[in-house]
Amino acid sequence: MNNLNWYFPKTIKEATDLITKEKVLFHAGGTALLPRNLDKINGFINLSDLPLHYFKKENDTVEFGSMNTYANIVSKIYEIDSENILLKSLQTSADTPLRNRITIGGSIAFAPPWSDIIGALIVLDAKILLSGENNGDFPIEKFLQNPKLKQNSLVTGIKFNLSNWKSFSYRNIRTKKDMPAFHIVAMLKIENEIIQDSKIIITGTVNRFDKIIEVENYLKNRKIDDIEFSQIEKLVDVKFTGKRFSDPEYSQKLVGIELGRGIKKLVRNL
Amino acid sequence: MKNLNTIGKSKKKIDALSLATGSAKFVDDFEIKDPLFVSFLYSPYAHAEIVDIDDENAKKIDGVVDILHYKNVKNQKLHTTAGQGYPEPSPYDTVMFDSKMRYVGDRVATVIAETKQIADNAVKKITVKYNVLKPVFDSEEALEKGAPRLHGDERFVPIPVKYNSENNLAAEVDFAFGDVEKAEKESDFIIEKKYSTHYASHAAIEPHSTISYFDEMGRLVIIASTQVPFHVRRIVSKVLDYPLSKIRVIKPRIGGGFGGKQEVFLEPISAFITIKHKRAVKIILSREEVFQSSRTRHPMKVKLKTAVKNSGEITALSLHALLNTGAYGSHALTIVSNAGSKVLPFFNKVKNISFLGQSAYTNLPVGGAYRGYGATQGYFALNQQVDIITRKLNLDILEYIKKHHIKTGETSEVFKALGEGSEGVAQTIHSCEMDKCIDLGAKEIDWYNKRDKQISLSEDKVRGVGIGFSMQGSGIPLIDMGAASMKMNDDGSFNLFVGATDIGTGSDTILAQIAGEVLGINLDKIIVLSSDTDLTPFDVGAYASSTTYVSGTAVKNCATKIKNQLLKVASNMLDSDEKNLVIGNNKITDETTNKSVTLGEIGEYTLYTKDQFQVQANASYVPQLSPPPFIAQFAEVEVDKRTGEIEIIKFVSAVDCGVALNPKLAEGQIEGATVNGICYALTEEYKFSKSGKMTNKTFNDYKIWTANDMPEMKTIIVESDEETGPFGAKSVGEIGINGPLPAIANAIYDAVGVRLYHAPFTAEKLYKELNKK
Amino acid sequence: MKGTFIINGQSKTMDFNSDERLVISLRNNGYTEVKNGCLEGECGACMILLDDMPVHSCQIFTASVQNKNITTIKGIGDLHLPHIIQESFVEAGAVQCGFCSPGFIIATYALLKKNPNPTENEIKQAIDGNLCRCTGYVKIIDAIKNASKLIQKERVHS
Repeated sequence: MNNLNWYFPKTIKEATDLITKEKVLFHAGGTALLPRNLDKINGFINLSDLPLHYFKKENDTVEFGSMNTYANIVSKIYEIDSENILLKSLQTSADTPLRNRITIGGSIAFAPPWSDIIGALIVLDAKILLSGENNGDFPIEKFLQNPKLKQNSLVTGIKFNLSNWKSFSYRNIRTKKDMPAFHIVAMLKIENEIIQDSKIIITGTVNRFDKIIEVENYLKNRKIDDIEFSQIEKLVDVKFTGKRFSDPEYSQKLVGIELGRGIKKLVRNL
Repeated sequence: MKNLNTIGKSKKKIDALSLATGSAKFVDDFEIKDPLFVSFLYSPYAHAEIVDIDDENAKKIDGVVDILHYKNVKNQKLHTTAGQGYPEPSPYDTVMFDSKMRYVGDRVATVIAETKQIADNAVKKITVKYNVLKPVFDSEEALEKGAPRLHGDERFVPIPVKYNSENNLAAEVDFAFGDVEKAEKESDFIIEKKYSTHYASHAAIEPHSTISYFDEMGRLVIIASTQVPFHVRRIVSKVLDYPLSKIRVIKPRIGGGFGGKQEVFLEPISAFITIKHKRAVKIILSREEVFQSSRTRHPMKVKLKTAVKNSGEITALSLHALLNTGAYGSHALTIVSNAGSKVLPFFNKVKNISFLGQSAYTNLPVGGAYRGYGATQGYFALNQQVDIITRKLNLDILEYIKKHHIKTGETSEVFKALGEGSEGVAQTIHSCEMDKCIDLGAKEIDWYNKRDKQISLSEDKVRGVGIGFSMQGSGIPLIDMGAASMKMNDDGSFNLFVGATDIGTGSDTILAQIAGEVLGINLDKIIVLSSDTDLTPFDVGAYASSTTYVSGTAVKNCATKIKNQLLKVASNMLDSDEKNLVIGNNKITDETTNKSVTLGEIGEYTLYTKDQFQVQANASYVPQLSPPPFIAQFAEVEVDKRTGEIEIIKFVSAVDCGVALNPKLAEGQIEGATVNGICYALTEEYKFSKSGKMTNKTFNDYKIWTANDMPEMKTIIVESDEETGPFGAKSVGEIGINGPLPAIANAIYDAVGVRLYHAPFTAEKLYKELNKK
Repeated sequence: MKGTFIINGQSKTMDFNSDERLVISLRNNGYTEVKNGCLEGECGACMILLDDMPVHSCQIFTASVQNKNITTIKGIGDLHLPHIIQESFVEAGAVQCGFCSPGFIIATYALLKKNPNPTENEIKQAIDGNLCRCTGYVKIIDAIKNASKLIQKERVHS
């Protein structure tokens, strides 16, 4: 047993002040904190009373407070953009009861290798909203690359623009309820049967996530009829650790096949 | 069947509403005053000698009551944790606390404390000095000369069977008839293949749990999540040298067993602590502990050699089954025997057979009873071999099975040759609807439109179908025993007391249906009390597909005795000749006069009116036979040729379980077993590090399916009338788990021409095979 | 710690450790109808409704849900006044060992409240946080379909 203090701040300011004074962690849904060794901390700052459950849409910009659960995000995005990549990425993540508990804030702060949210946020060029020592909007990639940003700061929300690019999400799972060995997200801008642009991210790799620039370059300005899907497969070169349950060599083969298939399906369904 | 009252009807399970509303009690739900809690220290090494244990720091922690280990628990008795018939055919190779560790997860010490948290913290403060020994993980290597030896000379089996701890041989059994060598020479071709199956967890959702305490009279009460309450009483008594008469074992509701709770490894420790400290004790294993340190399905390697004529006739069959029993030999003999005894009789016309079953100790988790019990592993091999033979000869596999399988009126030498560590029991088949199972199952899966068609409905994907046939048994003849007693109450209701152990299967309901049928009453008139060693008669417990057949017959015989008493009383009350009386609709009627008395009137009469006596009876039943149920199971799979991913499209099971006393419960047994078998074939698997540590001890990493993974499922009950069983019943509990492994393997072959000899069939594995081709 | 919760509609004060999981607190306070099967958010035996949403109570720190509405299986229906869903589970043969049943019924209750006429796929997804080792799910899915029919019928009648 560990004696933890529980704080229930009512304002963001109170929360970010507390984090500087105590050896504490922010608690959102708690699902990522439970398995942790809590010996090194002496308390939690519970965020549920903060005004971070909000959802805003202004023109094409969407903003979610960090206390929104996966289930909330899925149902809210569904109403405004049923083809959204974030929706596709999260709607089968974990399981129904966990999606009712996992928050975007906790998920982004924790960002495990099997994260289902990171890839979508990267391809959406999402901004992470921070309060505290670091204040303001930070591009998701910058946020992930610089762990110091999290220091004494609270993720208060995410912001991204809706997009009409075509997208797909593929989770490599053994059973329907599984943490993916890897997750592919891709968005393609297609006009006049030509791929104008694309963004492709694979999460779960040794680098946590990889941009598949080779494929992005290959697709750029290419007519969809000219795409050789076997070529796409060959261009994917990412590595996996296999630390958990997946065979890294197999994942490496699979990731190319599934990216090729995903793109094929996208362009054929136009 | 003629007009029956309760039999053959899908009566609601009598405990179902209490379970669905959460009021039914499992072990952990009992309120126990101030129990002690325990935490176990487990060996981090697969093979090691403990040089010393220092528990001083742990003992100093406030709230720690005691710490037990080999240094302070003296005069320990060798025993087996297998809850089997006595004397057991499993080796006595276990003590509660040993100085030698034989697998990662073996028990080093037990901390007893006032709270679970204190116990958990104290465990971390124990320091153990180990002399690490070389481990052996492979069953073949374990039997080789010079392999690391796990057990000492003092280990023994209490019945005369082959056992040699020096060579890590936990069990060996063999038999042969005919002349295999000659038949092989005279055959047209020989198929010899090696197959292997893997470790798996029963994964009952309720973890293993035990409570023990002294009641107000000073008797030791054990409430246990067990399939074998009477074996628990016996084993605790013997291990602790504590009088059996002072022990009461109560089985409450049990959250699933599947063989995993046929093992008595917590109860002796719990009882030991209660006796030593005169305090109540509660032990609830964590999921991780269930995976690592309870019991598992034994992996098996099967070498199967068949000599075949061009006509398709198998003229000789030799089967060598090698069981990896892990660190201890629980069920080591009987499971490997079953790979022969439940499998070889299926093709009973094979005239030359040799069987060798061996079990090897290794430094891996401990095997134990698991639904299917060796038959699952054996049929995996036989079914694929038949697929290979019939494909080679271009024969219709369904017709082939129909032609060659054992039939009503026939027998097999194997029944007599192979028993539970001794000779078996000869028997003739009284009921077999295997042909109908095959026909109806094939129709449901649309076999002839799909077999060999490699249907492709989307790019890179191709479908195939495969069959898995099997038979099981119904109890262990001449060894199992079930007993029942009944008494009548004033209002014409009855108490039914059975030792039989309902672990979620619905046996309380089935047994009430049997009694109700005999007495012509509905289930609301029968109050069932089961599995309390103080209150109910003996029963060996819930295993070996025995409860309906064995305990059910005991109940039927008991209820018949009651009926005879009622008829006698009614003949006095009605002044009728007994032979004119019929029982039914809660009354006894004279068919000649139409006069009747209700059972309530009889109840009052016998207890209050004249020549008062208690209407009561008891009966025991020892089966003389073990009539096999039969099943044909069909898988339709879709294989992704590029990735090796396998999807089950549809799964059909057609089963002959005799008369299904309660069709919904019978279907439920098949459906549950089938899905367990499908997960076992595809996603369930223990993974080990190089040093023998299980690396996926969570449901997160050990994948059993959710509803969301389910294919289309169809279960067809094909009734037969087993004249030796209660109201025509055989068994249905285990058989459904045998088919998925081979049916899926055969279907994969049908789809992509790749044969997987080694389970499980993961995408990676199939991917590699596809790319070898 | 001490905290107040609204459990099955009644205010309840519980004592709990600051790092305790909700399933443990509930069980320690007599709500043994909430089962504990894995403590890792996988089996669903401990499922409850938290403000009407199904969650794994083992994945929640008790301290974090003070003053919230918690519904256990007994808040849905009991032995004397069972809910239609509970009766459907009994009728369909969806209850074998029954250790997982409270969790499945909670998940079903949440589903049918939101979506009284779910498709088979919606049913399967709604119970994807619950493991059952006895039934193979076939009869559970039957029970949910049947409960859905009965609930709709009841609505028409009332």
